[in-house]
Amino acid sequence: MDERTLDAIIARHDAPAGRLLGILGEIQNQEGYVPRETLELLSEKLGVRLSQLYGLATFYSYFTLRPVGDHVITVCMGTACHVKGAVAILEALEGLLGIKSDVTDDGKLSVTTIDRKFTVEIARCFGACSMAPVLRIDGNLYGYATPEDLPVILGEYGWTP
Amino acid sequence: MIQQKIPGKPVTVTINGKKYRANEGEILLSVAIREKIEIPHLCFEASLDPYGACRLCMVEVVRKGKREMATSCTLRAADGLEVLTDTPEIEKHRSILFELYLAEAPKSDVIRDMAAHYGVTRTRFLKRIEQGDPLGNKCVLCGLCVRACSEIMGAGAINFINRGPYTVVNTPYYAPSRDCFGCGACVRVCPTNAIEMEDVGADRVMKSWSDTRVPLSQCECCGRYYAPRELSASVLARLDTPLKEEIARLCPECRGKQLAQNEILAGRGGRATHG
Ligand code: SF4
Ligand code: FES
Ligand code: FES
Repeated sequence: MDERTLDAIIARHDAPAGRLLGILGEIQNQEGYVPRETLELLSEKLGVRLSQLYGLATFYSYFTLRPVGDHVITVCMGTACHVKGAVAILEALEGLLGIKSDVTDDGKLSVTTIDRKFTVEIARCFGACSMAPVLRIDGNLYGYATPEDLPVILGEYGWTP
Repeated sequence: MIQQKIPGKPVTVTINGKKYRANEGEILLSVAIREKIEIPHLCFEASLDPYGACRLCMVEVVRKGKREMATSCTLRAADGLEVLTDTPEIEKHRSILFELYLAEAPKSDVIRDMAAHYGVTRTRFLKRIEQGDPLGNKCVLCGLCVRACSEIMGAGAINFINRGPYTVVNTPYYAPSRDCFGCGACVRVCPTNAIEMEDVGADRVMKSWSDTRVPLSQCECCGRYYAPRELSASVLARLDTPLKEEIARLCPECRGKQLAQNEILAGRGGRATHG
């Protein structure tokens, strides 16, 4: 993220309450993740310790510290989805995309394909348990998902076998 | 922030049936410590606001014939306050906590000894042992180091990072910190001796904090490295000139020697200077 964009974001958040989270949220939305250089620059500009910003960015699962792919697939691993076969969905995704999900330093499950097209993450309950198991791709929800549906769904996002 | 120093009016509190004098508003745990009444505690540090994180200092407060549990580090002395420190309820609560701490910080001798002192030598919980943990599997996440670093020193080099079961204390990105003074306040407040710090040649190395290196000042007289350079510079900025010059050049030991020498020579009408 360039300095001008960051300045514009900072200027939009001048109220002290929730300021840091607001700024971090915008960075996350624009970049798809929170780049290290941006966080360091932000710390300098606001005079807020980097440790404080980093603590926030790693506390809320909303933020990602690593770049993500063009499409973000979030598999729900909440109780209902788990019972209804979320593990099979995750495994099928790993098979189709040729990745192995792995827990990062911050305890977050997030893997990106080598071609940077897809990132697979997990969440705990979208609040759509009646349609379990559920997955979400770029904000679109897919309920009653089965491993067999996945190739078609992924196809909508440019996946080819 | 720093606890207020103005003493409140004298009051009488009852601990385990015995009466003790205290100042109104004084922290009950402080009263107990002063009176040598044993209450285990990990996260209490007199120079910081009470925080109530470790839950080990629980006591039972007796009020109108009823009892309720409270952390003694957040409890304030008031006239007629009555507490019990070793009821069966408290003992049960403590044992479970010790079991949890034995699992959380399996390599800490402090925890092991403390737990053993209260008769807990085993844990039913899964021990969390991580290879290469910068805090040697001794941290109980009490937060004292984080607070000493930011609230007392104003450095803010370390913080809690990550969340849930992955929460640890360290520097951002596990990278050497630019905000660390190398003061060692974290090492001093840590109740489980988890933080490793070592002076290597001209540097102080904060091993647990991603090997952050801080340059030390060298004594002009004996050549010893004695205090983090940046830290002494900021302290010096607040001192009188003559003293400042001496402190800036000499380690405490050589300064002591020089003082003594000057005294002796002054008695004989002479004066020594360092060259
Ligand atoms: S390193 Fe020590 S002081 Fe810091 S949180 Fe862990 S136990 Fe507490
Ligand atoms: S458990 Fe998956 S949506 Fe609730
Ligand atoms: S000392 Fe009271 S909760 Fe830790």
